[in-house]
Formats: sequence, structure tokens, C-alpha cells
Amino acid sequence: MELTQLLNLVRCGDELAWEAFVRSFQGRVFGLAYHYTTQAEDARDLTQDVFVRIYQNLALVPDEAGCLPWIIRITRNICIDHLRRRKARPPLWDLPADELFDLRSTDRNPEEVHLETVRKTMVHRALQELTDLNREIILLKEIQGLGLEEIAGILDVPVGTVKSRSNRARLELAQKLVAVGMGA
Amino acid sequence: MPPPPPDPKVLPLDPGASPELTRAILARTSGDPCHRLRDLACDFVDGTLEPGQASLARLHLGHCEACSALVETLASLQVDLPALAEVDPGPWFTQAVMRATRHQPLQGNAGLHGLWWRLMHRPRIALEAAYLGAAAGLMGIYLPLPTLTPRVPALVQPLGDSALRVAGQMAQAERRTSASLQRSLRPIVHPRPVPSAKASLWQRLSSWTKARLQAFRKAQAPPASLETQKLHPANP
Repeated sequence: MELTQLLNLVRCGDELAWEAFVRSFQGRVFGLAYHYTTQAEDARDLTQDVFVRIYQNLALVPDEAGCLPWIIRITRNICIDHLRRRKARPPLWDLPADELFDLRSTDRNPEEVHLETVRKTMVHRALQELTDLNREIILLKEIQGLGLEEIAGILDVPVGTVKSRSNRARLELAQKLVAVGMGA
Repeated sequence: MPPPPPDPKVLPLDPGASPELTRAILARTSGDPCHRLRDLACDFVDGTLEPGQASLARLHLGHCEACSALVETLASLQVDLPALAEVDPGPWFTQAVMRATRHQPLQGNAGLHGLWWRLMHRPRIALEAAYLGAAAGLMGIYLPLPTLTPRVPALVQPLGDSALRVAGQMAQAERRTSASLQRSLRPIVHPRPVPSAKASLWQRLSSWTKARLQAFRKAQAPPASLETQKLHPANP
């Protein structure tokens, strides 16, 4: 079903359509929230908040191409608010980052799955070492696949900055992976 | 047929000839070319580098292991990074979201109701309401009230010139009487000074503070002695 049609059903109160909408976007929203917070439990709570906010503002959800950038923008805002709150009132103890990339069960060779999991975890950790702007550009451009103009709008920086920073951030990430011996 | 003898004027472009020699020559001339390759690496991996530059980069990569590893990692990131976009939040996540949104009001229309609902459900609404309430309270307490003009009763029937003249004379007489009565009563009753409508906020605040201070001093003053009471019986 097309997204526009699905959204119309959701706006009419169809719960099945809403469930389908949640299932379509929950992986992306959770992935983005996890990259921002690095805590799976926080990311789950924030993802729920994102969907509750989407549900409360269904009239504002753009159709088709504008939907994903809009959801990503909401997710980013909620995650940044959460990170600010956590910075102001840090938790009593820091839980270690969850290795959640092994949550997905597949029918492939276990060794392959393990290697892929290790690789994803290493990439995730290397991402956390980048500067905030570089990490966000990688998250939005390379991981979420947004366009330069959309990223510039979300981050409120010029398009040229996004373009130049993107290459620099990729190079920095690759250098970090090579340094820890995770080069291809 | 035997290969032709090499031309002594043209340097052979042999990648595997002597990397140490190349490195030594570059170190004494242009410097390390790896910086230049790092500038071009992303475009090289994306395939957006022009062919001449790409062949030069390929030649360098054939010799430099560090740059080669970097470019290979960049190429692998093109596969690894998009794979990180979706992460499974767990099997019960969708049900949790459905439970969380079950009792939420559905805002399907962008009408006034939806706007009102969004306005009322902002995190800052409590702070804004408190601010507005405090501002309204302060304005009600300290801002001068408008002067009360005597209300003229509505005339049921139109009056002639003579009737208007008589009414005006009566109003003037009444005003004179009340003014003289107030003048005569003022020393007796010591009326509390009523701030005028045009008095500034500071004047009103200072007069209020003075009156309060006087009342406080009077309350805190020690009782008069018996001799004082005899001499000044009116002053307790």
C-alpha cells in the first residue's frame, strides 16, 4: 500500500493502518535513536515517544517523499532533548552500551552473522568517536540516505558545508576503522 | 620477435621496480603523496573522480599499502553504513507503541481544535501560564485604575433649554457642597491619601511603603508611661 493511502487510513483512525505505519518506520527510528543515545533501552523509550508524537500530529505528517525526513527530524529533536536532559542530570551509573546488533535472528551461517555483528559494532563505536557534526552528517547522509538539501535543512548549515564535511567525516571514520584493524 | 630495446630518454613506468627509491625521491622533492590521495579518496570510491586523476590514484594505490587499506575501508563503508539504518527494536516493540498510542486523542484534522490541543500540550505551557498569571496579577495590583466619571442618568425624555440650565445649576451646587464638606471633614477624619489615577507606580509604591512603616513603628513603639498619659491623655 502506498504511504499516502496508508496515512489517510491512519488519519481516519484505522488501527491496522497505524500498526503497519509503525512497523514500516520503527526500525529506522530506533536505529537513529540508538546511534544518538548509544543505549538500547533509552532508544526504545525515545522511539515510543517519537511515534506518540507522530500520532498526535498526524495532520502535519507530509506525504510520500517528505515523510521520512520529517520523521527523522522529529527523532533527532527528541534525541537531542534527551541528551541535554541526560547531560544536565546524568544517571547515577552508566550502563555499558548494549550490543543490540545481535538481536536480529537470521537463518544464515552463524560465523557470518557473528562477523557482521562484530563489524557493525565496531563501526558504531567508531562513529561515537567522531565530532557531533561529522557523526550527524554520516548518520543522516550515509546511513539514513537523506539528500544534501534535506540534511542542510535539518542541521541548519549550508549545503556546501554538508558536502565537504561528509567526505571528511567518511575519511575520518575509515581512518579510525583502519587504526583498530577493522579495515576491509 | 625480441622486444625493442628501451629508450634511454624515457623512464620506465614500472610499478614494482623500486618503491624505496621512489619514496626517497619523493621525500626529497614533492613530499608524501598520500595527503593528496586522501583528498581524492572519497571521490575515487564514489566514482566521481575524472579519469586522469583516477588512473594516478590507482597507480599510487598499487604501491601504498596504507592508502590502499584506507580506500578499501571507505568502499566497504558504502555497504556497512546503510546496513545500520534499520535496527530491530525487539519483538514486543510494536505492541508497546500501540498501547502507548491507544488512549491518545487522534488529531486527524488541522482545524482550531487540533491547534488548541497542540498549544495546550506543549512542555512550556505551565511556565507560560504562570508567567501570564503573575503579569496579570501585578498589572491588577499596581497599574492605576481609570478615573471614575459620574454616570449621567439616561434621559428618558428630551429636556428643553430651561430644564438643562436648571439641571446644570443643581449639579454645580451639589459639587460645591460636596467639596466644601470634604474640606471641612478632612482634618477630622484624616482620610487615607487616595492615589490619583495619574500617580506614577513609584509614587504609589513609596506612599504605600511609608504608611506601612508608620503603622509598623506605631505597633512596635513601647507603651507610654503613666506621666505621659497624664500629660497627653489623647495619646495612648
